[in-house]
Amino acid sequence: MGLVTMPVEVEVDVAEAGFPGFTIVGLAGKAVEEARERVKTAINNSGMDFPSKKITVNLAPADLPKDGGAYDLPMAVGILAASGQLNFQLPFFNFKNTIFYGELSLDGSLRATKGVLLVGLFAQQTQNSKIKTQIFVPIESANEAAVVEGITVYPVRNLIELTDHLNEVKQIKKLGKVEVKELVEEGGVEYDLAEVAGQEQAKRALSIAAAGGHNLLMWGPPGTGKTMLARAMPGILPSLNSAEALEVTRVYSVAGLLEPGESLVRRRPFRSPHHGVSAAGMIGGGSNPLPGEVSLAHLGVLFLDEMPEFPRSVLEGLRQPMEDGQVQIVRAAAHVSYPASFTLVAAVNPCPCGYLGHPRRECRCSDKQIRKYRARMSGPILDRIDLHVQVPAVETDKLSSSPSLPAGKAGLGSSSKEVRKKVIDSRKIQDLRFRDESIFTNSQMKNKQVRKYCPLTGESERILRLAVEKWDLSARAYFKLIKVARTIADLAGEKDILPVHMAEALQYRQVG
Amino acid sequence: MKQGVVDATKIPNFSAVKPAVKKLFWRGKDGWDESWFDHAAAVVGSRRITEYGRRVVDKIVPQLVNGGATVISGMMYGVDQAAHRACMASGGRTVAVLGWGIDYKGITAEDLSIMNEIIEKGGLVVSEWEDQAGTLWTFPQRDRIMAALADEVYVVEAAVKSGSMITVEWAIKLGKRVWAVPGPVTSRVSDGTNRLIAEKKAQMWLPEQQVSQRTTNDAKSDDKNADIYRLLENETLTVDELARKLMRSVNEMGAQLSVMTLSGEIKEKDGKYFIGG
Repeated sequence: MGLVTMPVEVEVDVAEAGFPGFTIVGLAGKAVEEARERVKTAINNSGMDFPSKKITVNLAPADLPKDGGAYDLPMAVGILAASGQLNFQLPFFNFKNTIFYGELSLDGSLRATKGVLLVGLFAQQTQNSKIKTQIFVPIESANEAAVVEGITVYPVRNLIELTDHLNEVKQIKKLGKVEVKELVEEGGVEYDLAEVAGQEQAKRALSIAAAGGHNLLMWGPPGTGKTMLARAMPGILPSLNSAEALEVTRVYSVAGLLEPGESLVRRRPFRSPHHGVSAAGMIGGGSNPLPGEVSLAHLGVLFLDEMPEFPRSVLEGLRQPMEDGQVQIVRAAAHVSYPASFTLVAAVNPCPCGYLGHPRRECRCSDKQIRKYRARMSGPILDRIDLHVQVPAVETDKLSSSPSLPAGKAGLGSSSKEVRKKVIDSRKIQDLRFRDESIFTNSQMKNKQVRKYCPLTGESERILRLAVEKWDLSARAYFKLIKVARTIADLAGEKDILPVHMAEALQYRQVG
Repeated sequence: MKQGVVDATKIPNFSAVKPAVKKLFWRGKDGWDESWFDHAAAVVGSRRITEYGRRVVDKIVPQLVNGGATVISGMMYGVDQAAHRACMASGGRTVAVLGWGIDYKGITAEDLSIMNEIIEKGGLVVSEWEDQAGTLWTFPQRDRIMAALADEVYVVEAAVKSGSMITVEWAIKLGKRVWAVPGPVTSRVSDGTNRLIAEKKAQMWLPEQQVSQRTTNDAKSDDKNADIYRLLENETLTVDELARKLMRSVNEMGAQLSVMTLSGEIKEKDGKYFIGG
């Protein structure tokens, strides 16, 4: 159920009296109904006997809808036990602290099943102190649970192996513990900032966004590197720490997006949904709601290329997650909540044809088309984007002929690694600043906190007032600018917001 | 608001125009005033106006208004509407010659709002039809009226084959003076204007020599601002380009540009900086 693990008890009754059959009760979905055939065939093909008696399987609690193949294994074990084909050695074996989880294949082997990490975490939270909980999960997905402390994980290849283990013929080897820390090593950088030619201001904006957790909007004609820049974003964010990695992995485990054998998502997610995405795809959905793109981008970057092309309903759906860092999905069958705390990076062409303001190509859009195009991004969404930056067309000959900026002078260094270092430093400053608050980055500050943590010096205040007057800025824009200036000051390691920081922040104000 | 019809055959110049214009329907706050056309300049150009075109219009039109000219244009989006707007902004008289009938209802909300604005601010809206829809042939017809009403024509941005060229042809035939604003040779919307100059069909329009207030007068201003100012005198530049040319970091450069923009020394549009004219 979302990220909340609900234990399901699988009760199996093999009755002597009655017509032979196999019934499953307990709000079973189609996939669970079909478990009958899988379980029956798997047991037969494993050289064991599927009893031709009246078999009733009850999935408790009765009112919780259940779906998926994970109930196959417990059913099979239940049937084998009830028909006397397993001889448990009590107290060695205790059903109370054992979890079976996994989908069966017709030949009796187990398939990769999603959600194993959550099962592991559930086992860890609910076990009593005396006996370790043991879980039996498919071998291909077992690594997911390997990072969970304090439980015993048995990776099961097939039904025969499992019965041998339960009958104490041959033990299954316990899965070795994997330290989260070891896995979350300095994740490599997929796209380096240095690969993008020019666009120093956009890179600077990117580093500010990374440092302060600000959402970023890039304006510019096609082919100027907007997408490349966005892809470089995860590489300049601090690496995931252990807790974060687990959190991300939970979402991916539920969505079934972990590779077989993969135990942990180690890189910050970068999601770039196509603009054909549906609202359910973006926010999450389905009758048993699965996480959508916003949740898959949790603690990472959600990149919307050509943002105005997204359906309005989809963009509006982003408002709640952008505000709360999580998303509630309500369906008839379930009400779930997934984490969705992401940094939004959006790219927008200046007009439908893309060439407005291009140095060499004229734009072929009418004023009306341009206005319509821009109106597709609603005010409330734009309001939640702190940084707006122009990514102009670059004339390649200009780039190659003029000297590149000396590394020190560029203010941020050229490679993602250097930028990341600065970002991490500024995040440390923010951690210290917000130690008494429940927020982590400058972008999350509410107006009250802005007043408390970002006092302006006389000259900075004067610049800001001047700008408000000149460009007729709203109160919201006013606070956004202060937040951005705060991050710029943090990047520079300054305690106060100096006039130069305020002035730079004005570069990234929302235009139009 | 007043409206009426004038007999076009009585207006000088119109006799030479073919097909002959019989009547001109007009709308305006104060009514038709013959004297407006004693000194009238048509400002025409492409629908696909570039940033360059906009700035040129903002330079030419106030000059015309200061010189007491009425500014005539064709109400189409692009250069035409920019010219109307610039004229109204500098308090001048503007005349919009419609490419459709004066009572035609099928125009867009934007066109309607600018039309109402022109009337409200004391301008005139003119057409030779009553309820003709705007179609392929009506716009070239409109062009001949503009040429006949104006005593000089300014072409801001125009492709080789365009309505503006029709206005120019008529203006030449009627013996009016034609000015063409040169543009980048790489831009398709400046092809027509550049060619007019090359073929000596039009005079090249150049702004009056600007005395730069900054570099000459204000010697004591700090060097950093002067550097930027000097570069921007020649071309429009982005933050990146300025930073690269002056070997400074983008964050520093951005901060300084913000301050300069705030003080009004320079202007910014879509990420590009220039000296406001």
